[in-house]
Amino acid sequence: MSEPAVDELAQKAAFDRYVVPELEVLYRVARSITRNPTDAEDLVQDTMLRAYRAILRFDGRHPRAWLLTIMRNAQINRVRRKRPELLRDPDAAMERLADEDSQDLGPEALVVESEFDAAVEKAVGALPDKFREVVDLVDIQGLSYAEAAEIIGVPTGTIMSRLHRARTRIRKHLEASGAYVNGRPT
Amino acid sequence: MIRRARTRRHRPEVNCREVGKVLQSYLDDDVEPGFADKIAKHLEACRDCGLEVETYRRIKASLAAKLPEVDTAAIDRLRAFGEQLTSGDE
Repeated sequence: MSEPAVDELAQKAAFDRYVVPELEVLYRVARSITRNPTDAEDLVQDTMLRAYRAILRFDGRHPRAWLLTIMRNAQINRVRRKRPELLRDPDAAMERLADEDSQDLGPEALVVESEFDAAVEKAVGALPDKFREVVDLVDIQGLSYAEAAEIIGVPTGTIMSRLHRARTRIRKHLEASGAYVNGRPT
Repeated sequence: MIRRARTRRHRPEVNCREVGKVLQSYLDDDVEPGFADKIAKHLEACRDCGLEVETYRRIKASLAAKLPEVDTAAIDRLRAFGEQLTSGDE
C-alpha cells in the first residue's frame, strides 16, 4: 500500500533536485530553438512532464545533458506535428527557414551598442540556421560543446566544426561590411 | 620567405599555421594546458596572430553580451507547473 507513496516522494525529490535548478537554462535553450516565447514555455513544460515520468530511471549523472536530450526529442515531435515537410527534406526546409529568418532580424536587432556589435548581429542573422543555432547555444547561451551536442543531436565534433565555421563566417562578414577590428580593416 | 623561415626558427614551439588551426579551440579553452601555453607565447610574439585572436575575442565578447534577460514571469510559471506536477495535480 505504501509503495506508490514512497515512489511519489522519491519522484518529487529527484525532480526538485535535478530538474527545478535547470529550469532557467531549459527556458533559455527553448527560446533559442523555438524563437518564440509561447512555444518555448510549452516546450519546457513538455520536457518537465517527460522528465518527471522518467526520473526514477535517471542515474543522477549530468542532469542538464539528460534534460537537453529529453527537450530535443520533445522538440522533434513538436516540429513533426507542425511542419511535416521537414521529415521529407530536412536540409532544404532548414535552409528555407534560415532564408526566412535572415529577412527579418526582429526588433532586438534594432538595439545595438556599437557599429561592431551591429555588424556581428547582422552577421549572425545571415548565418544558415544550423550555424546560427550553435552560435546561439554556445557563444550566447554559454552551453558547453557537449551540452549543445545533446540538444541538437549531433556529435561534439560537429558542434565544434559548425561553431568555428560560423565564427569564420561572422569574421568574413565583418570584413565585407567594412567593420574595423583593432584599428585596422579586418 | 627567408625572413619568415628565420622568424619561425626563433619560435620553434608552434608556428602561425598551427596556431591558425587551433585558434578557436584555444579561445574556448579546449586545448591541452601545455599546448595552450605555447600558443599564448606565440600570440605574444606574433602580431598577425595576436590581432587575429583579438578579432575572435571581440566577436565572442559581442555575442556573449547578447544574452537576453530571462523572462522571470515565465520561469515562475514553469516552477508553478513543476509544483503542480509533483503534487499530482497535473
